[in-house]
Amino acid sequence: MDLTDPDLDRLRLKLKYKVLYHVGHGCPDVDDLIQETLARFLRAEQRSQIRNTEEFGAFLNGVCRNVILEYRRRGKRETSFDDQGSAVEGSVRPDAEILELRDAIDFSLADLAERDRCILRALYLEGRDKEEICREWEMSDAHFRVVLFRAKERFRRAYTGK
Amino acid sequence: MNCRKEPIDREEVVAKYLSRTLDAVAVEEFEGHYLGCDECFEELRVSERLAVELRASNLSWKKSGGVSVLAFRSSAELTHSAHELEDLRRQVLEQSDSRVVIDLSRVTRIDSAGLGQLMSCYSHLVRNQGSLKVVHARPEVKKVLDMTGISTLISSFTDEQEAIRSFKN
Repeated sequence: MDLTDPDLDRLRLKLKYKVLYHVGHGCPDVDDLIQETLARFLRAEQRSQIRNTEEFGAFLNGVCRNVILEYRRRGKRETSFDDQGSAVEGSVRPDAEILELRDAIDFSLADLAERDRCILRALYLEGRDKEEICREWEMSDAHFRVVLFRAKERFRRAYTGK
Repeated sequence: MNCRKEPIDREEVVAKYLSRTLDAVAVEEFEGHYLGCDECFEELRVSERLAVELRASNLSWKKSGGVSVLAFRSSAELTHSAHELEDLRRQVLEQSDSRVVIDLSRVTRIDSAGLGQLMSCYSHLVRNQGSLKVVHARPEVKKVLDMTGISTLISSFTDEQEAIRSFKN
């Protein structure tokens, strides 16, 4: 497996999603957890311990899971109120980024019909099944697919600027 | 997971992952998959942003006189199980202003979780040399703020401009 710098950046970003999903945005050690996961993964790779390189995602996931578990065990012993305070302070984002994001959202969400918005909310926020949503809104599977992809494409264009 | 076979199934997995309604085994499987699949990771990124913005869309944000003013667009509850609680926390903690006014005119209920969240926002803003004020609180919400003594820390106003001006005093 030949990993270039862009590959590593990409893996770092993917790991950030997983780590944040499990430890939350308030955790001050997210970058350390990602770095530790990558270091272990690269060591294993150098020692040819990854048997099936096609399935490296599952291997990397296992490494990350262990890193998070170890961190939680350590955290239970060492957590203090002050640590939580500094985590919150670290989460402030620069003004420009927020403004840029807000513009994109207002533009793209304002374009959505109320019904489409309700459907997206049911799917993404309430975690409801596709079948249940289709029943409630009296729509076919194909129609649901159209609503979903149309809304996502509109949002994707607004947020990527394409 | 075969993501190319039926994209709509992937959408459902991504949505359930984001709303945390996927069981632990499926979470493991999906994470193991997207760490190795760029296409699915891109879907996750876009969907995550969309979910965040769908939530945030009930909260409007504007800046006036160097102060951020947050308001709910429709009726909202600041209670333990309400989405609005997390949205509010995210909006206050993730933006750079430390002087914030929250318009509570559309907040119909508040419980201990909501009060805790307001205090958490207040503490965060004070630590960053700012403060938190509320405006247009309904009588039932104002009563809770007064009863718990929170209104001695978080000042309550009936006029938005007055609340904004109070930061200069």
